[in-house]
Formats: sequence, C-alpha cells, structure tokens
Amino acid sequence: MRHTSFIARTVFVHNNDVEAACRVLNRILGKEDIFDQFRRTRYYEKPFQVRRRINFERCKAIYNEDMDRKIQFVLRKNRTDPFPGCL
Amino acid sequence: MLKKSFNFLKTWHNCNNSILINACRSLSGTATLFRDVVDRKIMLKSLPTVDEGTIGENTVAVDLLSQDKHQIFPTCDSLTKLFNGVPFNQIPIINIRVSHNNTIINFTDAKGQPKLIRSCGIEGFKNTRKGTNIAAQATAITFGTKTLERGVKTVRVRVRGLGPGRMSAIKGLQMAGLEIISITDNTRVSWNPPRPRKQRKL
Repeated sequence: MRHTSFIARTVFVHNNDVEAACRVLNRILGKEDIFDQFRRTRYYEKPFQVRRRINFERCKAIYNEDMDRKIQFVLRKNRTDPFPGCL
Repeated sequence: MLKKSFNFLKTWHNCNNSILINACRSLSGTATLFRDVVDRKIMLKSLPTVDEGTIGENTVAVDLLSQDKHQIFPTCDSLTKLFNGVPFNQIPIINIRVSHNNTIINFTDAKGQPKLIRSCGIEGFKNTRKGTNIAAQATAITFGTKTLERGVKTVRVRVRGLGPGRMSAIKGLQMAGLEIISITDNTRVSWNPPRPRKQRKL
C-alpha cells in the first residue's frame, strides 16, 4: 500500500472542529519538512545555495544539541522527589 | 538669590529646548534623505510574512494530542468506517487547489468524476484579488451552498498546495453548512524533482 489516498496525510474532523484538525495536519507536515521541501522546489536552488543551507543546518543542529545538553546539565537533579510540592 | 537662580533655570530650560528642537530637526532631515536608499534585502525582511494559511505549522504541541489520538488518524479499516450510514470511501470529495494567485475548488463523486468546479476567478475576483483569503472564503461559501443544493451534506476535503486560500477555503465550506469529515493534504512534494524554473529576481 503505497501512500494510499485518504489514508496518508489525512486527519479526521471531530465535533466539526475543522481548525483543530488543520492545525494538527499542518504541524505534522511542517515538522516532517514537507512544506519546506515544497517551498524549496518551487524554484531551482543553485548548488552554492544548497551547500550554504546544508552547512547552516548542520551548524544549527550541533548548536542545538550542545545547548540541550547544557540545559540538561544545569537542570540535573539528585533528589528522591525532584520537584517537591508539585503534582 | 532664589529669583536669580530661577531665572537662570528658565533661560537654561529655553536654551535646552532650542537645542532639542535643533537636534530633532537635523535628525528628521537626514531621515528623509536616507529613507529612499534602504537596502532592498532589509526592506524585504521588514515586510510582514506572507499568509499561507498554514496555521499551526510552527506551533509546539503542548497537550500532545491527548487520548483520542487513535481517532484523529485513519487506520487500515477506516476506509469502510460509516459516516451517516455511508462508508468512508464512498463519500464524495471536494478538492481544493491553492496557489499564490488563485484558489480552485472542485467537487467530485467518490470515484473521482468531476461534477462542479469553481475558482476565485470565476467568482468575479480578478487579478491580485483572486489570491486572497477573502476571495477563497467567498468562493468556498457559494461552492458549498451549490453542493448542498445537489443533496450532498458530508464530504471529505483534499487540499493541494500552499497559499492564502488554504485555511479560509476549508473554513468557507464549513460556513456554508457542509459537514467535513476528513482533511487530506495532497501537496505534490518530491525529494528528487525535475529541475524547477530559475529563481525570481527580486
């Protein structure tokens, strides 16, 4: 079954709440890079632009990873109940 | 002594005011001179972002789709699931094709036979006005009432492309009184497409 229509990229609407369904769909498509790829392929991306974009993405990923690690380090806990008084 | 100092203050105040006025004048003068020759890239950056109708694309899910996750997304047996007594794959389809400059709405039966087609251009919006969310909504409302006249109440919606009419067309169909049971994205995306056209010169 290769991306069957109305199974792939489909969201059911509940209680006539179209906006919520659209938001879910758009969020997933945005996160999966589908919209970005669509926008990118409207016009030819020259090789130098591809290189620059890929390098930028790489640097960003490294920075984000380091920053996440740093935040985890700062937020580390060594208590039996890490957040006393919270549910 | 007091009076003297007061006078001094008064004069100082006046003097200060004149300085301020002068400063303002010189500043405004240069600003008008420089306004015309702004860098084009900076100008483009300062413009508001184009509305593509993709609400929620960049939002972060806080509630993580709660517990009715399994109902939101279709499964293998949802093709035969009944909606108002009709199986899902027998429900007529409304296709919405969105681009930057127009929105085309097309009504087909479950097999894909086209029955009705309307676009913002047909609706009476011309030129740049075609590619607005208002035009898309107005078109969708009239389109929805026309499909209702044909005796169709429940539809599935299939959207293709990005543009200002994306969200508002779906909203318009709902406002017309149609019951939308599912939304499908059918945007054509490829990771190894044929070479697209060259970039626009801005």
